[in-house]
Amino acid sequence: MSAPRWQLSWWLIRAQFQTRRTATALSMLAIALGVALGYAIHLINDAALADFSQAMKSVQGEPDALVAPQDSAGRVPLALINQLARDEAVALVVPVIETRVRIGELTVRLIGLDVFSAGLLMPDLLPRQGESIKGGGLFEDGMYASPALLARLQTKIGAGVTAMRGDARWSTHIAGDLPAARPDDLLLVADIARVQAHFGPADAVSEGRIRLAPGTKLTAWLNTWAGKLPPGITLRAAADNQARLSNISRAYRVNLNVLALVALLTGGFLVFATQLTAVAQRSTQFALLGVLGLSPRMRLMQVLFEGLAIGVPGAVIGLALGWAMAAAFTRLLGGDLGGGFFSGGTPAIVPELLPALGFFALGCAASLAGALYPAWLNRVQPLAQALKTGFAQRPPSGRDDALRPRAGKAIALALVAGAALALTRLPALFDLPLAGYGAIALVLVLGIAVAPLVTQMAFGAFARRELPAAQRIAVQNVMQAPLMAQVAASGLIVSFALTVSMVTMVASFRVALDQWLDVVLPAPYYVRSKGVPLPPQLLAALERPDAPFARVERMAAGALNLDPRRPTVAVLVRELDPANPGARLPFTGEILAAPAGAIPVWISEPMQELYRLKPGQTLRLPLLGREVEVFVGGVWRDYARQFGAVVIGATDYRALGGKFEATELALWPHQGGEAAARDWLAREASRYGIEMAEAGEIRALSLDIFDKSFAVTYALEAAAMLIGLFGLAVTLAASVWLRARELATLSALGFNRAMLTRAVMLEGALIAAIGLAVGLACGIAVGAILTHVVNPQAFHWRMELQIPWLQVLPGAALTLAAGIIASRFAALQATRLPAAQVLASAQ
Amino acid sequence: MLSVANLTKRHPGSARPVFSALGFSIAAGEIVALAGESGVGKSTLLNCIAGLELANTGAILVGPQAQDIVRLDEAARAALRATTIGFVFQAFHVLPTLTVAQNVAVPLLLGGVAAGEHAARIEALLGRVGLPGFGPRWPGTLSGGELQRVAIARALVHRPSLILADEPTGNLDPRTADEILVLLLERVREEGASALIVTHSQHVAQNCDRILTLTPDGLQ
Ligand SMILES: Nc1ncnc2c1ncn2[C@@H]1O[C@H](COP(=O)(O)OP(=O)(O)OP(=O)(O)O)[C@@H](O)[C@H]1O
Ligand SMILES: [Mg+2]
Repeated sequence: MSAPRWQLSWWLIRAQFQTRRTATALSMLAIALGVALGYAIHLINDAALADFSQAMKSVQGEPDALVAPQDSAGRVPLALINQLARDEAVALVVPVIETRVRIGELTVRLIGLDVFSAGLLMPDLLPRQGESIKGGGLFEDGMYASPALLARLQTKIGAGVTAMRGDARWSTHIAGDLPAARPDDLLLVADIARVQAHFGPADAVSEGRIRLAPGTKLTAWLNTWAGKLPPGITLRAAADNQARLSNISRAYRVNLNVLALVALLTGGFLVFATQLTAVAQRSTQFALLGVLGLSPRMRLMQVLFEGLAIGVPGAVIGLALGWAMAAAFTRLLGGDLGGGFFSGGTPAIVPELLPALGFFALGCAASLAGALYPAWLNRVQPLAQALKTGFAQRPPSGRDDALRPRAGKAIALALVAGAALALTRLPALFDLPLAGYGAIALVLVLGIAVAPLVTQMAFGAFARRELPAAQRIAVQNVMQAPLMAQVAASGLIVSFALTVSMVTMVASFRVALDQWLDVVLPAPYYVRSKGVPLPPQLLAALERPDAPFARVERMAAGALNLDPRRPTVAVLVRELDPANPGARLPFTGEILAAPAGAIPVWISEPMQELYRLKPGQTLRLPLLGREVEVFVGGVWRDYARQFGAVVIGATDYRALGGKFEATELALWPHQGGEAAARDWLAREASRYGIEMAEAGEIRALSLDIFDKSFAVTYALEAAAMLIGLFGLAVTLAASVWLRARELATLSALGFNRAMLTRAVMLEGALIAAIGLAVGLACGIAVGAILTHVVNPQAFHWRMELQIPWLQVLPGAALTLAAGIIASRFAALQATRLPAAQVLASAQ
Repeated sequence: MLSVANLTKRHPGSARPVFSALGFSIAAGEIVALAGESGVGKSTLLNCIAGLELANTGAILVGPQAQDIVRLDEAARAALRATTIGFVFQAFHVLPTLTVAQNVAVPLLLGGVAAGEHAARIEALLGRVGLPGFGPRWPGTLSGGELQRVAIARALVHRPSLILADEPTGNLDPRTADEILVLLLERVREEGASALIVTHSQHVAQNCDRILTLTPDGLQ
């Protein structure tokens, strides 16, 4: 394009922005919002993952491979470590013992290592001897504490310290610090032999970290060991940990990204509505430019340029906003956006060029996509006709849509509906509910396509009847201005459908969570320690006859690594009645009795789906360092552990040789002894630094966390509704404006302004009513897809559908009222021009 | 400068052609008036010549290169308009969001005329259509007669070889209309262009070199 044409293009863009400030600014804002949301989610996740993997690297070092037990309660025999060390392809094996100990009220990671080999692989864990510590070599005795831990314990190098785990204890002194530890890590490091001596295990370690000899191919080497490992032990690439890490939050992240995409799409829709009306309003101007020699391609490009002129600043604002949002959110909620996946400090937000460019491009693409149809319509406007009678809503195609057989349309719609239904039956792709998202998109398309049919059916009868003039004009316009009415309605359909679906999904989930909490929290009181076994003194005290409890149930939690690239599965060892597990677990189907001699386990819904298991089948679990055959006795609902959990009875676990060290207690006080029980528990909990909670508190907290993590969806719903309403106002104003001459003629014929305003308001009400009705139907369908397809596939959460009519119907009424107000605004704008002026002007 | 041969135009969906087998030509520098009853097809003919509507059969050779606008594609027709045709309408079609000077500059921009020449040419032409100093004003602040002068300036600014005017004074009072038409004819002669002017006014027609009358049976 030559410089003079750019000049013209720029004049037109500037004029457009000046005459339609609000519409342009709002479209820009909507694009900005979509980009900001997507970019913020990306930045936060990136930062959280980087932070988390940095933390992991700091403690784990950077080995090539790991040898580890599959069961968190398992061990790697020293013999295997030695065997690996003798392998020629292995440069170095660093044995590590990692355990959690209690120091006072604090739970701390204690890492036992061999300082000479570990220094090569895990430099961040290298200890530094305190200057005050005399004599002896490095690692003679004592523990080395991270700076954060020293600060937390308010102690100094050289001071005494006692670490406890279950009934084992080790009293020693702090011999130095860990200068390279990360600022918020609470860590203890000690010589591996000493840790073994105090906390076990003998002749075994918890993990071996392997550096391969230069030139060794990792996968090939892993294969050479494939069949040679003892049961219950895995040898895996260290990089798998990274994959697992990102798998933890993947579904949650994708879901948030889809929300951001929806925001971006609504931004695209606003650009569409703005540009369509802009094209319509300027049809005579563009025709004139065409007569003066503006080529059809340039008529198309001009509208696309205008779309870009909205998209580029919108995307830039979005990037800035996204960065600000990310910084603010991580400070407020931490790196997991309230999702509860990563805990720890505030990760640093580091924007990088490439993703920023990607999101910038997305914003531009959304606004370009929005401008595409209006641009095309502008290109195909017949010049001579546009000069004479203005904008043609339909491209000149020769065929008349209204005359096309309705049967054809009905079949096409039925096909779309069938495709949507078929998509909901498809399984997850790459563990993501992609088909489900596709089905949602199709439902929305269906809603938009079905709207004109609904309009005809709803108002066809009206149009034939005798009506007062104002009503007649309104009904006729809705029937005869198909494009504008459809655009106005489709904005409302999409935004209301998304809002209804979200509200439905959240309501269904909340009801389900509420019911689930009832079953999983049967006892009035709970006690929990963070990962370390509960102190044996407390357990002993509970067994004494003067303890104020009628019943105490113990539970221990461990973890199983069934698939190196997936997050671990929780193993819950529980004291429950094997004949009646339904009393403690919310089963989803029937409970099968295990055949004689078989060990029953009960798996959670996520575990059933992730590992494709069925009740009644037997399963080999890598428990306690060997393959144990267990019988799947049933499937229970679990909203707490997204990556699966398996429950095994404490008696069976002990019989397998497992050590049942309780980490959690459920407590039932004596009848009438609640107050005494409470006081007793509060006293004991504070003595040992463990958590106690009433069932009601846990329940309230859970629901509170739920509400908080869905709070962001309410903001999105509000934004969607505003955009829908704004789309209605813009298109209605434009369609009234396009008919300004007709309205002026009417007023010359004796209509007064009030009557015209009433007609336009009625028109807006009719369009809004259709949009809301179709949107409601689509919203329920989308809500059902979210509840029955997307949630189970993404998070393995299943639940019943609940439609919250008490929120949805008032919401619809409110939107209708807002729509009528918006159309009043549109009418006032359109009828503000004196009739004479409109009639005299050519445009 | 313009040569029309064997031209037939039928609107899609209508049974009868508006006109058929029309033929005439206009020499360089010649100004021709086109008369005829309402609805006979004068505007349609002009639109066909400008390539805004497509004739069904026949040829329309336009400009110094005598390009056949019927055979050109849409983009080439637009390019031809931008360089060789100036159009004045009955209604005062100006772009309300551009200033008077910017409106007049549009054909220069579309014709790819170097920006350096614009200001002087526009100012001179505005002076000659009786609107000296009107450049920075907005169209909304001008009267109908003044707007039509702007349209005339715009039709002439890129020095087209053919001016097409469709009842250029139909919306004005008779005195203003005469003034404007005299102005249009003067300017066209000054530029040495050819013109085809649709008019109902005897007075105007007499000022032209020749009068063509379109009837349902053809040109007379
Ligand atoms: N797009 C169209 N489709 C069908 N018929 C058309 C179309 N445009 C014009 N006509 C018909 O073609 C005929 C010629 O119209 P045209 O506008 O050329 O007349 P005109 O001579 O300019 O009349 P006037 O002096 O009133 O402006 C008319 O009968 C009109 O009804
Ligand atoms: Mg005409």
